[in-house]
Amino acid sequence: MAEIPGTQNPGTQNPGIETPGTENPNTKNPGAEVDPGGAAALEHARARAHGPLALRLAEPAPPGFVRLSGGDATPVAGEGAAGPGAASTRTPVVALPVWPDGVTPSVLDEYGLAPVPVERSGETRRVLAACLRACWTDLAAEPWPGAPASISDVLACYRALTGRGDDMTRSWAVGALRRLADTGWIIRSGDVVRLGPRCATWPPESHAVLRELVRRLPGPQPADGPATLSLEESGSGDPAPSDLAPSETATSGPVLSDTASSVTASSVAAPSVTGPSDHRPVSAGRDETSPDFDGLLSPYDERRRAELVAALMAVEHAAEPVHEARFAALRDPALRRTLAEMLARRGRTLIQRRDTWISGYDDAVAARLIGASRRTAGARPGLTEGERAVLTLVLVHSVAIPRADGLLSEDTWLSPYPVAVEELRRRTLLPIGELESALRTLRQVGLLTQVKAVSEEAPGGYVPGPQFHRLTAAARRRLQEELILAAGPQTPLATAIRSRRA
Amino acid sequence: MPETLDAALTDEAVLATYRRMFAALARDSGAVVDDPALVDIAETLFDAFAEAGEEWLTHEQMRHACRTHPTDQFENRLRVLRGLGAIREVFPKPNQLRYRASFTSVVGLMFIRRMMDDGGQSEMHRLLALEDLNVADPSTTMEEARQSAGNLARAFRLWALELITLTNGTIEELREQAPKLWGTEEIARRAQSLHGTILRRWPGLDRTCTELRAAIYAYSDASRRAAGRLADSAGTTRNLTLLPAETWRTFAQTASKERLAAVLDGFVFDAPAPWHDPAAIATAVDEAPRPAPVRPAPPRSPLPDTGPVDYADGGVAGLDRLTAVAESALGGRAAVALAEVLTGDWASMRRVLADLASADLRPELPYRLCWSDALSADPGGHPSWRSDGTLERVTTDG
Repeated sequence: MAEIPGTQNPGTQNPGIETPGTENPNTKNPGAEVDPGGAAALEHARARAHGPLALRLAEPAPPGFVRLSGGDATPVAGEGAAGPGAASTRTPVVALPVWPDGVTPSVLDEYGLAPVPVERSGETRRVLAACLRACWTDLAAEPWPGAPASISDVLACYRALTGRGDDMTRSWAVGALRRLADTGWIIRSGDVVRLGPRCATWPPESHAVLRELVRRLPGPQPADGPATLSLEESGSGDPAPSDLAPSETATSGPVLSDTASSVTASSVAAPSVTGPSDHRPVSAGRDETSPDFDGLLSPYDERRRAELVAALMAVEHAAEPVHEARFAALRDPALRRTLAEMLARRGRTLIQRRDTWISGYDDAVAARLIGASRRTAGARPGLTEGERAVLTLVLVHSVAIPRADGLLSEDTWLSPYPVAVEELRRRTLLPIGELESALRTLRQVGLLTQVKAVSEEAPGGYVPGPQFHRLTAAARRRLQEELILAAGPQTPLATAIRSRRA
Repeated sequence: MPETLDAALTDEAVLATYRRMFAALARDSGAVVDDPALVDIAETLFDAFAEAGEEWLTHEQMRHACRTHPTDQFENRLRVLRGLGAIREVFPKPNQLRYRASFTSVVGLMFIRRMMDDGGQSEMHRLLALEDLNVADPSTTMEEARQSAGNLARAFRLWALELITLTNGTIEELREQAPKLWGTEEIARRAQSLHGTILRRWPGLDRTCTELRAAIYAYSDASRRAAGRLADSAGTTRNLTLLPAETWRTFAQTASKERLAAVLDGFVFDAPAPWHDPAAIATAVDEAPRPAPVRPAPPRSPLPDTGPVDYADGGVAGLDRLTAVAESALGGRAAVALAEVLTGDWASMRRVLADLASADLRPELPYRLCWSDALSADPGGHPSWRSDGTLERVTTDG
């Protein structure tokens, strides 16, 4: 298969994988900072909308990304020798956006800004710690990519960490594993867990904290171990590794010969997990591409530069729009212009609402992203049909109806009027089975916010979430039009919208 | 009186519609009510009449039904309603005390309320449906059809003119008024079908029909233009107001999953990408809820426990002591006043009283305390007050 950038070959590509480069990347002038075709911007937007980019083996990552190879490239027995289609669930190379000057979203803490809330954050992070304990076998190396571990080991670590082995603790942990896998912090296939690409974005100076943490965490206790923890979700017919007794696995093969085999003297080394050769492929590596902001940031002194970077992180990662009084780079029009250019390189744009700012997808980039994903055969990335349907229902009940009743005055898609889950369950044509999981996903993404019931008069429910701050004016207007076209296709308003678009 | 500017504006809008509706009937320009509450009085009265049954209502009963409204308003309204025949005497004779209501007025009021809601759109729908039936009726004459087409043409033309004027006016007024005025495609379609029926049946009416057609087109065009201006100018969510809440509800309840999902087809949202900072992970581990430590058993005495003692055994000594206390208080007498016994400081008084009360409560002991209703108070004394009572030995021979 020829890897020619700029050609569209959706039929020959793997349908599950986003194929970057189909939008004519900048081939004429590869070294230039400017990105006339907007290919890098599109890829950044794609990574933000659909998660880590999957790249082909020889494919370079666009500027501003970290390219990770081999993190989960360990071939699975039975798949390793198969043809090109076999990699449908494994992506050998992924790319993730990196932040300028080594900052992370933690910088929001310094400014007292709330990031998008993490659902059940304590539990999720403890389970991530358990994954680290199980997967980070060589503490001398970086945590990523680590070694694969069985889910039973991770659960055993978690149990040792919390000191509780009851069923509820276990099902919470399984839920947290699912959330971590959904967000790229771990990779889970069947009963095997690996550290995900996002673990490669921890800055090196913070590894000491993690190393210290893993050292003091208790390991899995094999006493009442793997045998009781076979997982119902074991995928794709893999034989459950937990069938193996620890004594067998500790001696099985050359698998763990180079890394701390004593640490994982349990079922890590199940034959279905590791390949015949070394467990870490030679190609395992992490390289950052050329930073995409240097040309913009270099004219500024250190203080200004830090202000720009801080403002970038704030508008990109805060849950709510940030007030310009807090950030010089938002207050000062010249700096703000640079900030807007930085954002534009990542397919983003600044959105103002009175004195507050936040970032959103640039309209043109979003349109290209949609167009590209429509051309791709197979399942579309992003929200599923059921999730989009539920979100539309919440918008109708929480925004459109209160607005038609004259209750809302602000021109925004956020609303204080929650829709009860009961309303969605009873009085819609949605299959009930899909509703719960759709609500969970939408909540996790920040498209919905759950409102707790305060009283009889103010029952709880769902309202549009913080992501609706991030719609540009054009997108907000288009959303209004789409809703009107869907709900009242016969009204003169719909006719006017159609004729204007034609 | 309306309390806020908004309420005043709403009232004024309601009154304006009333005035416009009855302009054709009014004798002078001040003939329509100047307070929306006056219409409420009429409605309350008709409700009361509907409840009353064959007995109808007396003046007092009518007043009672409208008790929330001031008397002078009520009387004024009653006079007008009687003058116009909406409320009449049951029998037209002098000194008649009972009144009945007119069916026509009630229907008229229903009509008014509906006109208020949608500016006459549903009336236009009904009218068109009725006209459609009429022109299809074999007994309809060509003259009737001409009249009907002429009336409709005039209505549509005025409707369109009003919309056009609104479209050129302020956006606020347009937003408020347009939904009541512009028609749906359904109305235009119905009118055109009516027009087709007339033309097929009476080809001679082509001139009238041309006028009707022009009026319908003008109206459709004005509707579209008003909607277009609103769509252009209406911010990013405000146009949602322009569909009634009921339309939204119907949509939510009847749309298929595919139709709902299609709304968000062209939008890009962020994938979940929470940040787990190493320090936050360490904090979460430190804050892990620890299982409650196993609670040690409370310390036990090393001596063997003999179990509960038999209560009666221990009680005998107590009874003897109570007998001794009571006997020493009585001093051989059959009864003694408590004032005599309870002396000394409060602590000893209290002890003696407690013992005597215990003896009193023991049915097996022959002592009883008898309290009188009197209470002797002595502010300077000690104690400062006391209930009078006596301790008696009860003879047990009976």
